[in-house]
Amino acid sequence: MPKQERLGFARLFMVLSSISPLFIIWAIRGTSVIPDEYFISFCAFMVAIPNGFLALRLITARKLRETRELTIGRAEDHREHLLVYLFAMLLPFYAADISSWREFSAAIGALIFIVFLFWHLNLHYMNIVYALFGYRVFTVYPSEDGNPISGKSTFVLITRRTLLHPGEKISANRLSDTVYFDWGE
Amino acid sequence: MQFSFGTIQSTEFGVGRDHPDGQQFHNITVDGSVQDALQEMATATWDKMQGITATPAQYEPAEKHGSMEHLVLPLADDLAMLLRDLQNAQNLALDNAALSDPTKVFCYFAKMTDADGRTLIALRRASQFKGILKNRLIRVVTDALKIIEDNVFKLDHDYDFLFDAENVHILRPSGFEFVCKLQQAVLDAVPNNIQAIETDLDAVDFTNIATYASSHPRAARYLASIRTQEIAGIDTPALKRLCRNTGVEFRSVNGKIIVEDGHVMGLLEVLDRRRYEVKLVANTPERFRAASRSKLEG
Repeated sequence: MPKQERLGFARLFMVLSSISPLFIIWAIRGTSVIPDEYFISFCAFMVAIPNGFLALRLITARKLRETRELTIGRAEDHREHLLVYLFAMLLPFYAADISSWREFSAAIGALIFIVFLFWHLNLHYMNIVYALFGYRVFTVYPSEDGNPISGKSTFVLITRRTLLHPGEKISANRLSDTVYFDWGE
Repeated sequence: MQFSFGTIQSTEFGVGRDHPDGQQFHNITVDGSVQDALQEMATATWDKMQGITATPAQYEPAEKHGSMEHLVLPLADDLAMLLRDLQNAQNLALDNAALSDPTKVFCYFAKMTDADGRTLIALRRASQFKGILKNRLIRVVTDALKIIEDNVFKLDHDYDFLFDAENVHILRPSGFEFVCKLQQAVLDAVPNNIQAIETDLDAVDFTNIATYASSHPRAARYLASIRTQEIAGIDTPALKRLCRNTGVEFRSVNGKIIVEDGHVMGLLEVLDRRRYEVKLVANTPERFRAASRSKLEG
């Protein structure tokens, strides 16, 4: 792994983007403790800004040519991570009662903990938005080529490809130090 | 050159750093303008090489090279082991903090990939990269000059050498030797070189030569060079005659030549075709030692 994961601010917004479906659901449900016009505005803000930032990060990485030639060692399609994401976050929060200030505050507190964990554990790649646009998320492990200079870190590749073959070379944009995006053109 | 400068698809930047565990190489993210500059440097380097010669001679570790020459060395050569590893390395570790201590950076490089997926790596010793930190730089801010307080890294105009999947194209031999730690590499290669030479030249006892060369870089370089010479067909009487004529003292024991102490370098120079006799003046043979030589074809 890199000594220090950089782009902390960008990764935070990517995590916020990944929880944006929750705000869509909350906006639909509403809460009795905050008037709709404020609550819906807040939810809209929490959907638009992080996803806008994610789009900006993708465009910037492409514009600045933050490109790397990546070699696939062993790749695993982690579709089940999306299930974990759904069960760990979206469903519990969807079911949470936010009709009192106390419940609402507790839900926000729990959400902050989860955002921190996702950010700290570099899970910012887990995002339904990618699936909506037909992208898959692969965890790629380095090949054991015995070369002392080769990188030893795993990384995440977001791509439209359905299969990644060992030894395959892919040119991808860097979203963060551990997450790369293959536009698939 | 197995690379097309006109169809470069991606350019990655990296640095080599000295580390207690050895040399380490890291990728560093750079934007498009830096990538363009790195590509221009590579093109300028190749143009300079072509300006010197389009048919480069092979790099020889024992040769005294000029500061700027166009030489070539197969990437499969033992001396290019580090570069071979770098060329074949996959997914170099990304470390954008690798420049936090620039004094440890010994080289920087650009890894370029063309439309056919072929890779060219261009590498430069990091003297300017480090040197700039010792200077005080100024820039114009409005109408007044100000000291630049940030760390500034200055790229050079060209690289020391380029290497594709087949060959290392060298522009500055000293840069190549520095980065590849060639002195240590040839010293480490002494046992293998002796073994290879002995196989083809059993008329010479290499015991004392091996001992001497293991601690004398110049002798080790000669051995590396001799290994690439044609030695299987060396005629023993001709070898003895050239040694006698050029002042190399030896004795014969059980049919083997044992060079006397103090004459090891002389014998190595004879075997590497660097010590010779010329008889242009009647009855006045002249002996020479060549620090640099090139074979005449035809």
